[in-house]
Amino acid sequence: MSRRAPLAGAALAALLLAFTTAGAPPTWSEGELKTLKSLWIAQLGAPPADPSNRVADDPAAARLGEALFSDARLSANGKVSCASCHQPDRAFTDARPTGRGIGAGARRTMPVAPAAYSPWQFWDGRADSLWAQALGPVENPVEHGFTRTEVARVVAAHYRGPYESLFGPMPDLSDRRRFPLRASPVGDAAARAAWARMTPADQAAVDRVFADFGKAVAAYERTLKVRPGRFDDYLAGVFGAPGRHASLSPDEAAGLRLFIGKARCATCHNGPLLTNNGFANTGVPARPGAAPDHGRAAGVRQVVDDPFNCKGRYSDAQGEGCDELEFAVVDDPAQVRAYKVPSLRGVRRRAPYMHAGQFATLDQVLDHYSRAPAAPEGVSELRTLDLSADERRQIVAFLRTLDEQPERRP
Amino acid sequence: MSTSANQSGGRLGRLTHLGAAVLTGALMIAGAVYAAGPDTSLDRSTDQGVFHVQLNSAVTPIPMSKVHRWTVHLTDAAGRPVNGAELSVDGGMPEHGHGLPTAPRATPAATPGDYVINGVKFSMTGWWELKLKVRAPDGRSDRITFNVVL
Repeated sequence: MSRRAPLAGAALAALLLAFTTAGAPPTWSEGELKTLKSLWIAQLGAPPADPSNRVADDPAAARLGEALFSDARLSANGKVSCASCHQPDRAFTDARPTGRGIGAGARRTMPVAPAAYSPWQFWDGRADSLWAQALGPVENPVEHGFTRTEVARVVAAHYRGPYESLFGPMPDLSDRRRFPLRASPVGDAAARAAWARMTPADQAAVDRVFADFGKAVAAYERTLKVRPGRFDDYLAGVFGAPGRHASLSPDEAAGLRLFIGKARCATCHNGPLLTNNGFANTGVPARPGAAPDHGRAAGVRQVVDDPFNCKGRYSDAQGEGCDELEFAVVDDPAQVRAYKVPSLRGVRRRAPYMHAGQFATLDQVLDHYSRAPAAPEGVSELRTLDLSADERRQIVAFLRTLDEQPERRP
Repeated sequence: MSTSANQSGGRLGRLTHLGAAVLTGALMIAGAVYAAGPDTSLDRSTDQGVFHVQLNSAVTPIPMSKVHRWTVHLTDAAGRPVNGAELSVDGGMPEHGHGLPTAPRATPAATPGDYVINGVKFSMTGWWELKLKVRAPDGRSDRITFNVVL
């Protein structure tokens, strides 16, 4: 045996030790670097164009939408606006397990800024654009509890100028026999009956204003930015980009390694928003006492039938650019209790978690993913991971690096 | 001191040899698993050898979470283009038990034996299957499963 072998062995051991010692920067394989780059916010770019909304990127529409977003006159009790649940100082969510408007909702309030990048809105994807999404809560009896004829009247009374310069003349709503005060095809019995008495042309005139209201709100929502976290400053250093650089603690680095490796989080939480915008049954327990909720299986039926979808008469797409809707999967058993994969940007400050706030802490979420229990309905896609308490702690440490940092001065 | 250091060096040496053996073993196992992984060729004969299919993504590299188009060139066993066939597309992730995130549809293209599959999307990294069922106008039919690893 060569006398050099022990020396070489010692050198190798020292080298290995150096790379595992606390404080040494983590090293990544070529494959891991490719994955890391795909998670970097620098890859995000502007939200994809929305061909169904011709004012999607119009600053005047965004200004109108911003005002509408926080206008509580758009609710049955005059107290609920979009901003009641989508609170700007809480990353556009509330801190509740499920949203609360006029009454108690069934699902967790979602953040708004990443939504512009998603082809499907709501936890079950029952809307296919930001503007179609904005219409739902307004007429939901437990959210705004409003009707579309009331929306049209609020817009006519308080926003006529900016509305008409964007969308053209407002219909004359003064005849209350033609345009009842409270009328909607999805409202309570009285509102539905009032809607049914309207002529198709008058219904369409109201629907048009209602859709335009949504399009203005969507234009505002598209201006909201997902802000970088310390994770992105770390990647800026790794990839030699200019700007602020940061390091990861050994726990954060270990958590990141688990996130893209053993724990398989990045399988679905991929891309710069850490979501594939898809739907998955991850066996999340139902909220005690909650009504049956089939998730995407029901949501996809709703969006296909939604008159405000990309292919509907109020869409500006004219049939082009509606690929997601055109090729939507319907009637797939895997859609039962499948819910949207949410962005993990800023996730630490968004407790409680899952589509109905079932878990209070990220550790509980990771414990669930590690154990992978059977789904209450349908089939969970998860496989057990057997994460140790230390590994869960490390993943949570990594998730903390996704906290959105305060806006930087230019 | 020096004796102790030598002993320590000897232990490290043996550990290194052991490590090398373990590493070699691990690489051999990894190699075997890799070799046994799914066949990712996109230029293959159908299951019963009735047709030959060349499949291509119209966008390279294959995009993640974006609806895009694939092309098919369909020939018979003798290499003649097959026109007017009905192609149905299915697939999913066998390791996750779910189908494709979209429902793609195939339509004939203008050139002989050529078809376009619209509406393809992959939403996760990992092993995807794209399954084609082919039915030619003369009634011959066959199927094939392509593997795409992202």
